[in-house]
Amino acid sequence: MKDHKNIYLPIKAEVTEVIDESPTIKSFVLKPEHEFAFKTGQFIELTLDNIGEAPFTPSSSPLVTDEMQVTIMKTGYVTDRIHEFKGGEIVGIRGPYGRGYPLEDMFGKELLVLGGGCGFAPLRSLLYNLSAEQDKIEKLTFCYGSKTPGECIFKPYIDELRQVPKFEVLRSVDKVEEGEEWNEDVGVVTCLLDKIEVNVPNSVAVVCGPPIMMKFGTYKLLEMGFPEDKIYLSMEKNMSCGLGKCGHCMMGKYFVCKDGPVFTYEEIKDQPDIWK
Amino acid sequence: MSDFYRLTKTDWDSALRSFISHYTILAPVEEEGHIDYTPIDEEDVERITYNKPKPTTPLKTLLLPVKESLADPSSPENPWLIMGIPACDLHAKSLLDQFYLDPEYPDPFYKNRTENSIFIGTDCHGHQEHCHCTSYGFKPYPTANDDIHLVRHGTDVYVSPVTEKGEKFIEKLSGSTNLSKCDQSAIDWIESKRKETVEDLDEHNKNLPGYEKSGELINASDEEIWKEYGDDCVSCGACATICPTCTCFLLIDKPGLLKQRQVDACQYPAFEKVAAGEDPLDALHKRFSNRYMCKYVWRPERFEELACTGCGRCIEACIGGINKNELIKELANNA
Ligand code: SF4
Ligand code: SF4
Ligand code: FES
Repeated sequence: MKDHKNIYLPIKAEVTEVIDESPTIKSFVLKPEHEFAFKTGQFIELTLDNIGEAPFTPSSSPLVTDEMQVTIMKTGYVTDRIHEFKGGEIVGIRGPYGRGYPLEDMFGKELLVLGGGCGFAPLRSLLYNLSAEQDKIEKLTFCYGSKTPGECIFKPYIDELRQVPKFEVLRSVDKVEEGEEWNEDVGVVTCLLDKIEVNVPNSVAVVCGPPIMMKFGTYKLLEMGFPEDKIYLSMEKNMSCGLGKCGHCMMGKYFVCKDGPVFTYEEIKDQPDIWK
Repeated sequence: MSDFYRLTKTDWDSALRSFISHYTILAPVEEEGHIDYTPIDEEDVERITYNKPKPTTPLKTLLLPVKESLADPSSPENPWLIMGIPACDLHAKSLLDQFYLDPEYPDPFYKNRTENSIFIGTDCHGHQEHCHCTSYGFKPYPTANDDIHLVRHGTDVYVSPVTEKGEKFIEKLSGSTNLSKCDQSAIDWIESKRKETVEDLDEHNKNLPGYEKSGELINASDEEIWKEYGDDCVSCGACATICPTCTCFLLIDKPGLLKQRQVDACQYPAFEKVAAGEDPLDALHKRFSNRYMCKYVWRPERFEELACTGCGRCIEACIGGINKNELIKELANNA
């Protein structure tokens, strides 16, 4: 009975390039040993051989299947090690897993995308996808916040986005360090929402970022009149298997790896510890 | 009741001896007051216990070892013949199937093992101190999830095939032994023993709230009770390891991009902690209540099925002496 597929076995991928995004964030270009398709918002499990495994949502376009990028903040054991990579290393990938962004719910609508810090990573994949299908949406407003100008990631991509006719991009930083140059907003990212025009009844919102920002972002959107089922959140939880079995990602009755990582606020609002 | 066949215990024992070369036989054997699933050699056949609750470790441990390499999912050489499985463990198997045989991602290790096993369920005559299956609507005799039911009655053994796999096994058995259909008196005896055990269990647990009620009480509880009972918890995870329905595990990385699966539990610190530091279960009483919420509230919501079989093993295993049923009774009294 050797034909049962081993769901725990990663495929190999080569790290072909390492891109510095900020002092603590790097992007890694991965070339899988064979084509690897994913939907925007789905995640992969990335294995560093004999070291550990961690989940990441690709930050590259889902329309490209021969390579992908993951954008990783240095936060612990596995991510510290991958930050030492120079290119040429072999890693393992499993997936793609979970439920990503529902593009079909976004077509014909205005989009309000709210991102914070490394939360831009999954959103970039969505933005690539939507800019390729811009004729299907009304318009898109992207509000992005980070701590300092130096910590803003994907700077060249921001310039690209600003060229897309239906897209508007606003950025804010919590503070500007001495000697840093910044001519956009200063303040928490939610204050950008006061500056934009949205036709709420025909809009869908997407939020991705650190828990505290997701929480206040969601509350602000509710205040603006967004219905609970039109706010999409990407949840970050501890994960091990990615397959809905190991229990690590449980959030009440949901397995974030399988039922998410993207949920509407309506789906999860009664579950425990959603902002933790 | 399904058809039962009778054979003598002597014939059954010699059949088992002859099966040892084709099957790995795992059956309950009593040692120093503890019954456990044990690999059976020829000389062990007579030591197998019948109709007696219950193996100390659950069936889960055979199907999902505490630690296992996930390199090669090929099946064991000999099929397994697992005997003496109480109804609670059989029900637990169906709960494990929800995870491990999930059609989207069937676990090849679990799948091979279960496909390669013949499950023989047994009636419990009598119960242990903490057994409370009937309070949760389960019977102390197999009603589903086994291939064969088997009951011993003095010098006789009664067997009843349930699945095709079970029928094939009984066919094999009939080739080497003298099988006859059970007469009414045998059926009456089986039924009276079943009734007696159900009545005993009901009486023994008469103050314990039912499953749904327990779920409501747990869901509505405040942290006080979890702090009070959790105070005796040492985060050892024994309750989860021994629980036939706790499924959590951790994947550990090994050279060659291979994984090893190891039993894990929400009772251990940092089980849900993310790399950035947030930890929903950052206090002992939260971890302690998490296990109850999982079994009595979340898993029933998700799978529309109870996730506690009432086997009582977590009570037996708790180093801190925490008694789940006392906690639930206290919740009921305070409500
Ligand atoms: S929670 Fe306790 S009584 Fe319920 S199935 Fe698990 S070990 Fe048995
Ligand atoms: S809980 Fe019920 S089925 Fe399980 S061993 Fe005890 S009496 Fe038997
Ligand atoms: S990561 Fe294992 S169940 Fe979700």
